[in-house]
Amino acid sequence: VLGMSIAYFFSFLGLLLAYSCRKK
Amino acid sequence: MVVFRFLDWLWLVIFIALMIVCGTLFYRLGKRSMSDFFLAGRGLPWWLPASSVYATHSATDTPMWVSGVIYQYGLRGIWYTFFSAWCAISAFASTRIFRRSLAYTQAEWQTLRFSGLGAELLRGWIAGWQVFMNMFVLGWVGIAMGKVCQFLFGWPEWLGLILFSSLCAVYVLTAGYWGVVMADFQQGVIAFSVIIIVSIWGIVAAGGPQGIMNKLESLGQSWRLNPFAFSGVTSGEFPLAWFLTMLVIALIGGFGMGTSIDWYPEAQRIQSAKTVRDASYSIWAGSALIVVRNSLWAVAILAFFSLYPNIQSTAEYEMAWYRLGFEFLPVGLVGFFFAAIVAIHLSTISTHLNLGASYATRDLYHHYFKPKASEKELVWVGRISTLILLIGSFFYGLMMQEITQWLIFAIWIMTAGIWLPSILQVIWWRFNSWGYLSSWIANLGLSWLIVWILPEFHVIPQLPDYLRFWIMMILGFLIYIPVTFLTPTEDMDRLVKYYVMSRPIGWWKPVREEAERRGLLRSNYEQREGK
Repeated sequence: VLGMSIAYFFSFLGLLLAYSCRKK
Repeated sequence: MVVFRFLDWLWLVIFIALMIVCGTLFYRLGKRSMSDFFLAGRGLPWWLPASSVYATHSATDTPMWVSGVIYQYGLRGIWYTFFSAWCAISAFASTRIFRRSLAYTQAEWQTLRFSGLGAELLRGWIAGWQVFMNMFVLGWVGIAMGKVCQFLFGWPEWLGLILFSSLCAVYVLTAGYWGVVMADFQQGVIAFSVIIIVSIWGIVAAGGPQGIMNKLESLGQSWRLNPFAFSGVTSGEFPLAWFLTMLVIALIGGFGMGTSIDWYPEAQRIQSAKTVRDASYSIWAGSALIVVRNSLWAVAILAFFSLYPNIQSTAEYEMAWYRLGFEFLPVGLVGFFFAAIVAIHLSTISTHLNLGASYATRDLYHHYFKPKASEKELVWVGRISTLILLIGSFFYGLMMQEITQWLIFAIWIMTAGIWLPSILQVIWWRFNSWGYLSSWIANLGLSWLIVWILPEFHVIPQLPDYLRFWIMMILGFLIYIPVTFLTPTEDMDRLVKYYVMSRPIGWWKPVREEAERRGLLRSNYEQREGK
């Protein structure tokens, strides 16, 4: 119920992509 | 194994052609803009998104799941399906607030409610999670269809998964959400009609309601007719504590956004309705249909139990409702029944293909990669995202069945830790983006601790689900509330703009007073005096 961490990994990728905004 | 006659094949081919043509016909509307491709231009009357809510939440694995809990627990098993009652509350609370915000997606809503870097990080976080979750749900529902086809025709599992998901992708790729919602309406009508026919047919085959009750009594199984047959306050397989926890999660959850995994497809339907009132009616009516459907299924499964009372294997009794249809319907209607199963399946697949693509296109590509992209380009990105989700779902369905099993359990735990913060973000002005983000991250750590690490090292015993929910909620609260108060409040300009636009309920007094001071809202005194 490791499975949750896999889903969180994708969330973290989205968060990294957002972090596009740091210069702004 | 089921043998199809000419009439059965005829039903099936006509229905599949009708579904695909019906969806594809809306190609011209779907390609006009991103708003059309993902929200049907926000112009739908309430009954269209309502039928879509109902059709989306009827998947091929749904009758298997309902059959499982009713066969195992009797009529009290129907409470497992009562989680959808959050929609009845939400229809008049969070649904109205969300529709007024005009956010395309729940991820976008985070940047309307919150401000600064924290809001952006939350948007990326939820968009990444939703792209993955939709791909996963597609694999999970797709492999369920593969299993149904294997049960019926002896096909290998991959054939049912790939064939029907690909057929569905035809109209989702061409017409986007216009195709999804129009096909959903037609599929919803077919599915609901067949659910009524098969369930009543099964009940009659078992001797009608009186016959079922007499049979259960003779088997010494009358307790199965009592939906409140609790096994104790905290003991046994159906404790009162679980029931009360479920009621709290379902009913209070309606005041939040994201308190249930179902919120995300519902949010798309809410935004596609043409007015706030249409959005409310659509969510309420769609979930009312779901509750009626579950009740019909429950009685039909009791009928099945009275006919076949001694099945031990879960995999076998989960097929109860399907068996009622295929064993008792006359020749000719069997093809009609399978066409309805295909309708039930396609309506769920189409929604998750389009929903996952909306997060990839609107939140990840348009917002972070290319804010100046043209509408035409965004529609094409939507189509490419749909295709990637489709291929990804084959991968999940076929290659990672074990992970699929993990995640089904994980979904429940995942929403446990963020249930309360998902409500707080709607009803409390002071709750900020860092508080909400910390609740998500704390949820992962707490889940590892409560679900695996502490029980594994015998620090605490293995706990029942409902107790895990309360413990994780309290421990999470002790983390995200201090984080909220140790970090700054959201920018007041943003809060006022959000308040005036969305009119949230709950504790928003400082923001409301500021909006009145700026002349953006009339005060209660002015309203009374008619100024």
